Parts: sequence; C-alpha cells; structure tokens
Amino acid sequence: MKAFEHVDAPDLQTAIELLRDPDARPIAGGTDLLTEMKARLISPERLVNLKTLRDLKGIQASDDAIRVGALTTLTEVETHPLVTSRLPILAQAASQAATLQLRNSGTVGGNLCQEVRCSYYRHRDVDCWLTGGESCHAREGEHSHHAIFGESPCIAVHPSDLAPALIALGADVRVVGPDGERTEPLEAIYRLPAEGRRRRTTLATDELIAEVRVPHPEGASDGTYLKAMERATWAFALVGVAVHLSWTNDGQVQDAGIVLGSVAGVPWRVPSAEDALRGQKLDGASIDRAGELAVEGASPLADNAYKVPLARKLVKRALHHLRAERSGS
Amino acid sequence: MARVAKTQVEFEGQFYDKFIVIEGEDVEAWSSDKSFEVVGKPQTRVDGRERVTGNAQYTHDIQLTGMLVGKILRSPHPHARIQRLDTSQAEALPGVRAVLTPDNVPDIPWKGGQTKLLDTTLRYAGDEVACVVGDSEAICADALELIDVEYERLPHVLDPETALRDDAPRIYDSGNLLGGEPKVSERGDIEQGFQEADEVVELTLRTQTALHNSMETHGSVAHWEGETLTIWDSTQNVYGVRDGVAKALDLPRHRVRVIKQYMGGGFGSKNNAGKYAVLAAIAAKRLGRPVKVLLDRREENLATGNRPSSVQTLKIGAKRDGTLTAMAHRSIIGVGAYAGGGPSPAGPTRRLYRCPNVRTEDFVVVTNTGPFSAFRAPGYVAGTFALESAMDELSNKLGIDPLELRLTNYAEIDPLTEKPYSTKGLKLAYEQGAKLINWAERERTKADQSANAKRVGVGMASQTWGGNGIPPAYAWVKLNPDGTAVVITGTQDIGTGTKTAFAQIAAETLGIPIEHTRVELGDTQHGLYSPLSAGSMTLASIGPAVRGAAEDAREQLREVGAQVLEVDAGDIEIRDGKLVHNGERTPIAEVLSKLGDFMITGKGARGPNPEDVSVNTFGAQFAQVTVDTGTGRIHVDKIVAVHESGRVINPLTIRSQLEGGIIQGLGYALSEARTEDDQLGLVLSDNLESYKVPTVADVPEIHAEMIDMPDPQANNLGVKGVGEPPIIPTAAAVANAVADALGVRPTELPMTSSQILNLLEQQQGT
Repeated sequence: MKAFEHVDAPDLQTAIELLRDPDARPIAGGTDLLTEMKARLISPERLVNLKTLRDLKGIQASDDAIRVGALTTLTEVETHPLVTSRLPILAQAASQAATLQLRNSGTVGGNLCQEVRCSYYRHRDVDCWLTGGESCHAREGEHSHHAIFGESPCIAVHPSDLAPALIALGADVRVVGPDGERTEPLEAIYRLPAEGRRRRTTLATDELIAEVRVPHPEGASDGTYLKAMERATWAFALVGVAVHLSWTNDGQVQDAGIVLGSVAGVPWRVPSAEDALRGQKLDGASIDRAGELAVEGASPLADNAYKVPLARKLVKRALHHLRAERSGS
Repeated sequence: MARVAKTQVEFEGQFYDKFIVIEGEDVEAWSSDKSFEVVGKPQTRVDGRERVTGNAQYTHDIQLTGMLVGKILRSPHPHARIQRLDTSQAEALPGVRAVLTPDNVPDIPWKGGQTKLLDTTLRYAGDEVACVVGDSEAICADALELIDVEYERLPHVLDPETALRDDAPRIYDSGNLLGGEPKVSERGDIEQGFQEADEVVELTLRTQTALHNSMETHGSVAHWEGETLTIWDSTQNVYGVRDGVAKALDLPRHRVRVIKQYMGGGFGSKNNAGKYAVLAAIAAKRLGRPVKVLLDRREENLATGNRPSSVQTLKIGAKRDGTLTAMAHRSIIGVGAYAGGGPSPAGPTRRLYRCPNVRTEDFVVVTNTGPFSAFRAPGYVAGTFALESAMDELSNKLGIDPLELRLTNYAEIDPLTEKPYSTKGLKLAYEQGAKLINWAERERTKADQSANAKRVGVGMASQTWGGNGIPPAYAWVKLNPDGTAVVITGTQDIGTGTKTAFAQIAAETLGIPIEHTRVELGDTQHGLYSPLSAGSMTLASIGPAVRGAAEDAREQLREVGAQVLEVDAGDIEIRDGKLVHNGERTPIAEVLSKLGDFMITGKGARGPNPEDVSVNTFGAQFAQVTVDTGTGRIHVDKIVAVHESGRVINPLTIRSQLEGGIIQGLGYALSEARTEDDQLGLVLSDNLESYKVPTVADVPEIHAEMIDMPDPQANNLGVKGVGEPPIIPTAAAVANAVADALGVRPTELPMTSSQILNLLEQQQGT
C-alpha cells in the first residue's frame, strides 16, 4: 500500500470534519479497507482512526430497543448476553461471518458499509464499471457469485451477513454528518448503484453510522440466519437468509422479516414472502408458498441460476426451523 | 572401484534411461522380518523444536547487512508486445537503486527458449516485464507504478478447447497444440476390445486449474562475495537451482552455492530455478549488495505454476462379469504459455487395471495463462478422478459392487511394463479400508444417517504411482570422538520429515541413540549431490545412501574398536552407543578417545534400481459424505486411507504425509479452482480468499494407515515414496461417494454447491 497519514479522531465531530477531505478515509477494524489499500484499489492520503471514539462501542438495552454502537466488534456482537439471549438471529449472523481473527477486529459499522467482493472490482487490471469503467465485465464473464435480483449496471452482491439479519429485525441506524444526525431504517441507506451514483449506500463520505438500534421490547426474538458457503468457514455467503417472525396470541404469524444476502447489490428484502405469511398459520403450505415467493422475479445469469433454488430452499429451511422451535417451546 | 551402469528410472509417470556410477559394495537390503530399535518407531521431528520456537530460518527470514529488496513488474495483458518502456520516473524515486528491464539484462533463454528472462513479448497476464530493486518493499511497490510501459495488445486465448480451433489466436508459430498432434499410447486392439464388450460406459469429465499456494511463497536472496554467489532459495532442488542459475549467468558450478534449510511447503512448483533467483543475482552483482526477491500471494497465484486443467473423455468396455475389454481415454490439457509437454491424465488408465486393449490420447495445448508446473502426482490426480468415476459408472451399469469390479481387474503384473511388481499391497489396502469404512454395511449406514435434506453416500477409489527413487545420491556419516554422528547429504527437507528419517536410519545402523545424531542438508557447497525432492523420491533415493554411509562408518568403528580392545572385529556388536564384546560393554566415546581427534568418515551411494520388476506404490481411499440437498454442500464425514509404500521408517511423519495429501485432495475435490475471464484474459482468483484451500474446519475425520510391506528389491531400506500417493485417489473417492448419495454423478471438479444444486434440479426435472 502507499504511505499514508494516520490520525486518531478525538471525538465524533472532529472525525466528521476530517472526513470532509476527499483524500481521507475512516478506519475502524480495517479488515476491508486495508485489503483495498494493499491491492492499491484505493490509496487514501489520510486515515481517520475511529477506534478512539469509545462512546460508539458497546451494546446496551433501553426500554424499547437494543442499541449496538457502530464500533462494536463482530465478536462482541456474537458473544454479548443481550444478543445471544434476545437477538439470536444476530448472534448467528455475526458468528458465521469471516473468521474469528477477522471478527475480533471487524466492526458493525464497517460490516454494514463494506465494499463488494466482486473479483473484477478487486482486480487492479480491470476497468470496472463501479470505479468508472464503461461496463460491467462480470455480466459476460465469471459471475457465479453475482446477483440474481435488482436492476443495476453493477451485478456485484452486497456481502454482509449482519445487514440481512438487522433489516429482518427492523433495525434503524443513527447516522451522524456535518449537518447533525438522523435516524432512518437500515434498509433505507442501501441503494443499488446506478448511472450517476456508482455506490451502494446513501451515506456521504463525511457521514458515519454511529449506532444501530434494534427495536425489541422483551424476551427472545424468533429469528434465524442461514448461510450457504463454499467451505466451512472464511467465505462470503453464496446466499444468506435472515428470517424474523413475531406471533399473534393465537399462534399465527403477526409480522415477518425475510431478507436475503448475497443475491443483489443490496441486502434484499422479499416483501411478497413476508406479506404471504402475515396473519397465516406457519405450516407446510404457507412455508412452501413463502419459499416460492422469496425467489419470484429472480433473473439469474448463465452461471448463477443455482442461487434461485438455494435461496428458496434456505428460506423454507429457516421457516421450518422456526416452526419446529416454536412448537417445541 | 567405480562401475558405470545403465538403469531405467521412473519419474512422475515418465520413464527415462540413464547412466549411473555405482561406488563401493552395495549394501544388502534389510530383511523383511528384521527387528529394529529406531526404524519403524514413531519419532517426533528432530527439528521440531526449531520450527515451533521460531528459530528455524526460512528463506523469507534471511536478513543480511545492506540487503535490498526486489519486486517484479508483471504484464497486465494476456498477450502483448512491449513497444516502449520508460523507467526514468521509477529510477528517480528516492530509495530505488536499479530497474532491470529487457534492455539492460542479458538475453537469457528461459523455458527451453520459448521466452527469455525478460522478454519483450508477453504471453500471459503475470509474465515478467521488469524488476525494481530498492531499499524497501514499499518503495519498490511505489516504483512499479511509475514504470511507464506502452503495450501492443495481441489476440489471446485462455480456454484450451478454444485454443485448439483453427481460428484461435496462435501463441507460437507452430500452433497451440504442442507437437502438432496428440500424444498417443496404445496397446492391443481397441476396436476389437469394444466389440468384445457387453457393456460400454462413456463419460466426459472436467477438472480445474489448481494452484499449489505454498504457505511460503517462492523467492530468493542473492549475495555475492567476490566472484562467488550464494543464493538462499525456497526450493525443492538446491542442486537444480545451482545448475539453473549457473547456466543462466554462465558461471562455473563451484562459484554458485544454494542453501535451503527450512521450507514452508513445496508441491512441485519449486523444482527449478525461478526468474526471481536470476534477477536477484544480477541485481546483487550490479549493486554490490545482497538482494531479496520474494513473490507476494498474488504473484504466487499468477506465475508460479499450477496443476493444469483437463477435459477428459473416457470410454470403458467390459464383459458382463466385469472383466475389462477396452479403455479409450482422450484428454485435453491446458498447460499455459510455456511448456514443452504436459502431464498425462491417462497414466492410471494405462496402469491401474488389467486390460488388454487401451488407447490414450493427450492433446497438450498452450494458452495465454501462467505455465503449469509439476504438482503432487502430476496427471494422476486428474486422471484418477476420471478413471475411478468411470469405473463406478461401469459397476453401476453391470450391477457389480465397485470394490468387486476393481478386484476382478486387479493387475498382478504391471500392465504397462509387463514386469512383475516388487511388492503390491493394494489387495491388502482394499481389504483393510473396506473393513475400516464398514463397506459391506454401507447401505445400512446410508439408511441410518440420511435425514430430511441430508443424503449419505459411501465411495472408494484406488491409486498407483511410482515412488521408487533414483540414483545418483550420496551421503557421508562422520563419527566424532565422543560417539556422536553427523549425517551429511545434499538433499533438502521440504517439510516432509527427511531429517528425522535420516537420523533414524543412521541411529539404527550405527547403534547409537537418535539424540546422538545430527543431519546436515540443504547446502550444495557442504553436501554431496542428491536429486530434487519431487516424485515421492527423497527417502527412497537418498535414504539408502545414508544407510550405506552409516554401514561403512560402523564397519570402520568395529575394525578400530577391535584393535583398541584387542578382540576380534567379528565378535563386536554395537548397541546403545556401546561396543559389546564377550558380554563387556564399552562406550564408543571411550574407545575413540584413545585415538585423539581421529574421525571416522563413512561413505554411501545410492545403488541402481532393479531391472526386472516394477517398483510402484499403491493405495485405496474410502469416503463417506453427507450431501445437503438444500445447499448443495458436500460434507465429508470421513476418509479412510490405506496405502502401501514399502517399509515404514517413521509412522508419525508418514501419517502427516497421508493426512496432508488427503486434505490437499479435498481442496481439489471441493473448493479450489483458479478462475479466469476468457474475454479479458485475466486470472480473477489471486489470493487465498478467492482461491479456497480447506480450512481446519473443513477437515473431516481421517483414518490413515499404511500396509507396512518392506520392498527389499526396491533399495537397501525396502522403502518407496509416500509424498504423492495420498492426494491421488481423494477427489475420486469423494466423487464416487457423492454419486452414491445422490444417484447422479458430478463430472466436474471442484464439486461446488452450484454444480450439485444444478444436478439436483436436473434430476428433479426429469
């Protein structure tokens, strides 16, 4: 990597100010940023170290929510008693990400904002559309890991394991920028890259996620995260599936959050499958239907059609699992 | 007196005749029923402490005063000509000491003259363009970006099948098919063989380009003292690097010294001198300072060799009772940009089973990708996947148990050479493996363990390979006045336990404790010639020379001891570091201390290989898998491996070899593949995230055993090699287990979720 200046951020406001410099980049765990710098995909002149912002680290419960600071590591998420007891879906998602070493370093904020793993984007000799090239080479090339959903000139997938789980849980993010802060659904910060906006979040370069807020009043949530990988660990998802359910008093599905990972340029919520479950009894028929709806409208390319049955089967498996868990309890 | 003899040697599936010099008396082979004190006993590594405490010096650890670093600029294009190369900006960068380019290095022919050390025509993305030498790696990396190169793009082709077409871009004027025609090997009458068949199966299988990805990347440190060059190199072949560098730089061999003490992995890609070694030597000479050139992980993935991809069509005919009547095997092998030939996947087809009519055809094709190199059992790994997949299809069609089918066609003599085998433990391996996996009860295992979306299957595959070792190889044993011994050879321990095995052989032969031995190797100047550590031959080549030297030293000790003790030499035995005679025990040190600084020097040389027998290795592996039909993921529950490679010297390190080979075989079977973009002509997988070797979490239960079967005809130790055999049948055994679980056969490696899910969708659709 190229030489750079490393500055500790004394507080959040100063960090934001430092990031107004277009040649500056924020660093927390560095597990994504440093790989891009080593490959010389990016060569920032200054890194603004956020790890000094201790307020943004840690997990707390308030009356109606569990709050996760953006600088909390994935290991902390995976092992924190509040998460393991009340948000098992999030613990599952965190525990399947990367490797233990990477999870000890990588943070929640960084995980939500990570770049795509597309090997064309990451290849220094490829003129990739996302970085200003004319077209996407993956579309006609090696795209077995690429998107089956979403209209965008870029077919790389969002690789996060945490994002689908958090979106299924209905999480909000508190975003801090030069003009103050705003809170919005996590889902809303993701946008498919488009001509004129070749990035996949709405965050400006001088905005930071400060906190993730998961609405959850009490008890353990019913949710699960399943991840298909090419080896037992240290692999990004072929497909990730996050399913979160709440129940009516008479045992029907009150609300459902179903979000797929690694199938589109952003975490991919499947509202039709969610709608189909609301007010229904969770049984073989409703599960089958939700599975079919989850992949309705998929438009796979030549070499990634396998993701369609994979996503369908994983959604069904997750629902069967939650059904069995509920009837067991 | 030295005798010159002609001998036939087998190296990595190929046969060669060569002259060898035999010195002294051949040492008689250890008898099959001999009992041992040290040999055959589990022995922890004699250099284990150095390795685990970080004291072992690997090539990457070498730090010399004033040492500079070199980094190589590589072609970003798959096929191009350099039109203009401007290094002025790079040279102006503070800390840059030199930039080597095609303009300022000698025209050194490379790869048999297909290219040069630095060529102006580049034939794959990753081909060497220039080398920056500077004060640090960071400075060199910055400087690489400042080299301004104008390339003229030339048409390229990456896919071997496309490269065979008439309209494909030509990499050489002679065409992309090496030799202009397929390499054909034939015995019997193939047409008649198929006519005689009651059943015929035909299968097309594809295997990926696989990479070695040694943990320690390739690299060298070059240091001149006057006119003498010393190179530390991460190599499987110190003498080969010496000779390669000497030839490239037109130096006499006594002025080149190559050292390699410890190595972080060598699987065939480190068999020769690399360009990095020659570039480091040229730069070091020019700048008067040591220069280190280490490749990074990306370069390791682009430019250091690979197991070539293959497309294989295999047709097998058999009688109703399973007797093979004909086998036809056609292979297309993509060997990359620089190659004189390619490893034949058809070796096992020609050799594993008794079959009178066999025809094999290899299309060896050059493409604009990184050149192939040897990789742990070249040809045989891809070929065994094809052959053993087809054998299972045949057993399915005939309704004969897969193991029974293999026994029906068991080769009692080598089908290729028509010579008897020196030893062949394959039948015992089948028997033991079947027992350990509970082969007879496998239908019950499958029924018991399959559940919902999980389907269980059991499969097996067999293996044959060389591993006989080759002369020449030499060793000395020095016996110090205190009774300790130093073994000196010129071989290298590439992490396989060579030092430990030699220490065991010396301790056993000399009758001294292993702690009283020390093994010196890995240095061309201080050792005696030994061949490369490849072809599963280090122990079988050099081990017998070590024993010869130790026998010589022991005889000398007995003669000297007899005179000092005033007894008959014939009455003296040596045990536990003592001379035993008429019930008296005198420590070796006590005898030798009476002779001042007298040192016994024993000499040993490797004898010729036997003429009338085939010395081969064998094994069988059995796999139990659970396939998740929801995700398409193959979970290997268990591998049972039983191999025969002659006498076992060290059961502990031999198990490491078996487990290592199996794990590497599982990567080949399930997750490892180089990915490319044909249009752009680029390799896309250039790191360990995208090139997926197995992690510890991917390693199943492995039960690995040897049939300990001394092979006294092979050499004086009765040993054969074991480095390569264990990787050969793994992918085939797993594929057969998957086919058993699903009822459909995966025909491509690696067997990814994608392939399995597509197979299941097709199965459901029909």
